[in-house]
Amino acid sequence: MSLHHITLTINGAVERATVPANLTLLQLLRETLALTGTKNGCAAGECGACTVLLALPGAERGEPVNSCMVLAVECDGAAVVTVEGLAHDHQLDPVQQALLEAGGVQCGFCTPGVLISARALLDRNPRPSEAEIREALVGNLCRCTGYLRIIAGIQAAAQLGAPAGPAA
Amino acid sequence: MLKTHPTPARGPVGESVARLDGQEKVTGAAQFADDIQFGPGLLHARILRSPHAHALIKRIDASRALALPGVRAVVTGEQTPGYIGLYLQDRHIFCRDRVRYIGDPVAGVAAVDEQTAEKALDLIEVEYEPLPAVFDPVAGTRPDAPLLHPDLGQYEAVNFIFPKPNTNISNHFKIRRGDVAGAWAQCAAVVEREYRVPHIQHVPIEPHVAVAKWDEKGKITLWASSQSPFAQRNLIAKALHISQSQIQVVAPYVGGGFGAKAGVSMEALAVVIAGAVKGRPVKLRLTREEEFFTTFVRQGLVARFKLGCDTEGRLLALENTYYWDAGAYTEYGVNMTRAGGYSGTGPYDVPNVSVDSICVYTNHPVGGPMRGFGMPELHAGLEQAMDDLARSIQLDPVEFRRRNCIRGGDTVATGMTMHPTGLPDCIEQAAAAINWGHKAPPSAPTKRRGKGFAIMWKAPAMPPNAGSSARVQFNEDATVTVSVGGQEIGQGTFTVMAQMAAAALGVPYEWVKVAGPVDTDYSPYEWQTVASRLTWSMGNAVKAAALDARRQVLEMVAQAWKENPDDLDIVNGQVISYKTEEARSLKDIVIYGLPNPDGDGWIGGPVLGRGSFMPTYVTGLDAETGQGPRAVVHYTTGAQAVEVEVDLETGKVEVLRGVAAFDVGKAINPEMVKAQMEGGLVQGISTAFFEGLKLKDGRVQNPSFVDYRIATAADAPPQVEAIIVEVAQDDGPWGARGIGEHSMVPTLPAIANAIYDAVGIRMDAPPFSAEKVFMAMRQAGVVQ
Amino acid sequence: MVTAHPGLPEFDYVKPASLAEASRFLAEHAGAARAFMGGTDIFVRLRDGAWQAQYLVDVKHLEGMQALSFDPAAGLTIGAAVNLNRINAAPSVREHYPVLAEAAGTVASYQLRTRATLAGNVCNASPAGDTLAACLVLAGQVSVHGLAGPRQVALKDFFRGPGKTALQPGDVVTALRFPLPPAGYAAKYLKLGRNTLGDLAIVGVAALGYREAAAAAGLRFRVGLASVAPTPLLLEPAALSAGPVDEAALTAAAEAVAAAAAPIDDVRGSAEYRRLMVRNLARQALTEVWRKIAA
Repeated sequence: MSLHHITLTINGAVERATVPANLTLLQLLRETLALTGTKNGCAAGECGACTVLLALPGAERGEPVNSCMVLAVECDGAAVVTVEGLAHDHQLDPVQQALLEAGGVQCGFCTPGVLISARALLDRNPRPSEAEIREALVGNLCRCTGYLRIIAGIQAAAQLGAPAGPAA
Repeated sequence: MLKTHPTPARGPVGESVARLDGQEKVTGAAQFADDIQFGPGLLHARILRSPHAHALIKRIDASRALALPGVRAVVTGEQTPGYIGLYLQDRHIFCRDRVRYIGDPVAGVAAVDEQTAEKALDLIEVEYEPLPAVFDPVAGTRPDAPLLHPDLGQYEAVNFIFPKPNTNISNHFKIRRGDVAGAWAQCAAVVEREYRVPHIQHVPIEPHVAVAKWDEKGKITLWASSQSPFAQRNLIAKALHISQSQIQVVAPYVGGGFGAKAGVSMEALAVVIAGAVKGRPVKLRLTREEEFFTTFVRQGLVARFKLGCDTEGRLLALENTYYWDAGAYTEYGVNMTRAGGYSGTGPYDVPNVSVDSICVYTNHPVGGPMRGFGMPELHAGLEQAMDDLARSIQLDPVEFRRRNCIRGGDTVATGMTMHPTGLPDCIEQAAAAINWGHKAPPSAPTKRRGKGFAIMWKAPAMPPNAGSSARVQFNEDATVTVSVGGQEIGQGTFTVMAQMAAAALGVPYEWVKVAGPVDTDYSPYEWQTVASRLTWSMGNAVKAAALDARRQVLEMVAQAWKENPDDLDIVNGQVISYKTEEARSLKDIVIYGLPNPDGDGWIGGPVLGRGSFMPTYVTGLDAETGQGPRAVVHYTTGAQAVEVEVDLETGKVEVLRGVAAFDVGKAINPEMVKAQMEGGLVQGISTAFFEGLKLKDGRVQNPSFVDYRIATAADAPPQVEAIIVEVAQDDGPWGARGIGEHSMVPTLPAIANAIYDAVGIRMDAPPFSAEKVFMAMRQAGVVQ
Repeated sequence: MVTAHPGLPEFDYVKPASLAEASRFLAEHAGAARAFMGGTDIFVRLRDGAWQAQYLVDVKHLEGMQALSFDPAAGLTIGAAVNLNRINAAPSVREHYPVLAEAAGTVASYQLRTRATLAGNVCNASPAGDTLAACLVLAGQVSVHGLAGPRQVALKDFFRGPGKTALQPGDVVTALRFPLPPAGYAAKYLKLGRNTLGDLAIVGVAALGYREAAAAAGLRFRVGLASVAPTPLLLEPAALSAGPVDEAALTAAAEAVAAAAAPIDDVRGSAEYRRLMVRNLARQALTEVWRKIAA
């Protein structure tokens, strides 16, 4: 199997790694770099627990991807933001704050992916309708909350405005 | 002896404080079992599973697998002679002579990585002799059915489970009350129905994971995503014939359980594999696909109902038979069938009752506990049949439930006197909130609207003496550490325990933390995090421990101040005297004590409160009649109503509105209580429309999210209203009882009743997929 | 044993420098090498063992692959690596080919659409490919780079069976092209999944209609179907070109479309239900299109 040397930025920090071809971005994050905030729920691009923001070289901003569906080798030169990168200087991102206050967190396993999807939605559409929020969350399965408080949290986050620091 | 001040519901009990675990869960810092780092010494395990639904194992040859570079060990049933099980010890950790479902673990491999372990699986040779199989629970009870457990008569069982040797019936619970046969003649209306409920899966978003390690002295550590660290310690120790103290279970946050991570399922596999590579931690992580059929699933049900009432709509008789499709092993499932038996009337007052709840072995995945523990399955059909009975005498379904629902003081079918319950109030409030009796016009000419109603009850199903314990200790700065063995699985139990400790002690909520992860070497005993029992049972233990700590503080200060402890109190973290109006911070004194007022030296010392709770009043029930003074500790009751719209073009059903009203005794954290009701209702919607394991000859056809769909954010209804009713539980902390499971129980039948209201069709089994609804409408001539 | 593996099997990752190199490599390793774009299908199938590959050939960076351009004369060109979210959001697509934006937006979830591509959907030739019905009614063309250089294949001739296409060893799809649609046309995509959003199509129906003086009724219609035959289908309902278009003709056309479908029973739905849904959704979609173009 081919091995590849890659350099990428994760939450603002430059990382170098040598990765086998079949290593996914999710495995790179969790198993190589021990950034375990991003979760593995299905490894098939269905549950969204592994969602991160990925900006490939040349991209203006990060877009949410299922990190289980991206090869690490494809991320050479890319910028990645995980749940660990949402808060800046101990200040929570508005989506983190609002999700907490709305009661949109229970077991917490889907939460990292939900937060990334929510951040990405608000980045591209700062005032989403309820329908747009639901649509943006279709790829983030949650079994605890019934989604209603997650949706309310994202509506509240939209009111709070942009986050404190740079997202990507 | 100190007379404690009464503990009124002062803050923070009854307040919707922020979750204790919220901050770490939104930053990605919260640790789950798969997040724990073990370093490069970690080995990875994979499991070879049976491809046959039922077969004898003739031969296993692992020599080629063992020769593969990177493989460290292969284990088989040879290493696991003992039996394991919670209520009935009917399974080996690895299969020995026989496999009983597709997915049954036959061998386990430990290797340097998952890929190597996977390759090794292909090199293990297993010779099987296929046997005829049982795929239907009713067929499984027939005398000529293939026998799955010839040794059933020798299995160890608890004394309230009644296996029938030489059959596939591992438990048969009966209620015989009044004169059912004689009552039918007095009935103005009788309905008979049969419903089937498919197997479903819990689908926690976190798949099962367990890491085990044996040290050279034989001490075992198990890190697992677990609802049951203490039960796992106990059951695994018994199966391996070692002392419980030789096993330490460490259980960090659980990424959703719903029952799937209760008892023991795959954890014992990791322990046994690790035993072959002593000194090395071994991780076993299930794939999502394995998750769907190799841990626990919710068992299937074939339910037959016969219900009769008089002209006034009063229930006179009920004769229900439940055949549980309990799967290959019923070690846990037997008690679900018992619960389905003793609660088999639903929340109704019926004078003449016959219930048979029969647990049947089948060659299907292993039935285990799931949110509701039998209640969603049996209420699914029961609440539809009750609707039909009401309609058959032209009685409004809500009015029918008003007249028949169980009330405090009624005698339930097992002979127990019902405690005070807010069910009638739940019915009124849910009906009012959904605007019962008024039909809004549909949103399009090709759609039809309807409303549906259902009620429920559920008791914690557990051994009569399931216990809880807690420790409350102060730190120097007067903050408080609460230690418990119950698990935070998302329901918010750590938050609720902190609220209770704060309220009982008299300190601010923000001063209290709950020690984690749960660790059987350090945490006080807790039976299991199941049955919606923690708020009530563990809450009692935490409250007792906090009061114990409080007493120690007050006695010390009273001695120092030469006052009577009864004149002292702790308010907002300060000891105050109502007599002298003196006040003093708790800081330092809760660890270092106070100078002796009568001379040299000190009094007091580190304050450490202890508390435990165990119900002592639950009695056995007669094996033939199900009668006894007290079958259960209590029942949580509630009602739900939904409004739906059915699309005549596709059969698609949309829930426009849901209302849930439950009697929780006392809401310790009202917003979290409401969140449980909402989450349960949406899980109920998910099971109503999407969920079911498609089993064909024992094989699950849809073991992935591609074809086992669950509700997404776009499927949650636009509006859900959660209503809290509070009729205090006499032995609950501040009157509280549980709510975790209950909210998904009545959702499915309420939806079915709403579909009937909208388009006049009944279906004999969920899920009510668009296809099933459309084809039923077509058959009924509603659509072309 | 029905179970997917925890991780991806071993393969080599190959990143050719040019289309010519890509074609050469794929041809030399026919059967062992697969080109990939977003990987959303291929990774899943490699993981569950349905597909094998010794080499995965990444072609997204090659020339033209990321381009999305609209020419008022020639129509729309969508580079093979343009993801579905970009297609869904592109102003030129939304203005001139709204049905394509709509169909692209129904695939799976937002985060999967960040990776999934129209070209990937077309190359996989899944009967359930969500975008294929819309691509067919828009008369899409596939731009292919092969050993002999570039060529065009009409989409209606592209599908040969479930997972089977007109692609030859060495072929790389570089773009999908859509001619200018007929003036004043209207189109609609209706999809029925199990969930409200995000599921595969049990049935997908795209309808397109436009005015044409030469037609007997003055109108012409096309219907594209997904999930109801071994390949996506493109039909021109005769009932709507022969005589006046009215409710009865639309119903007859929908019946004819349903008759042309050849659905199967599978875990997602029965053949019988699918056929009935083709009828109902085709009637709905055609009626909506007819109302727009007749107005």
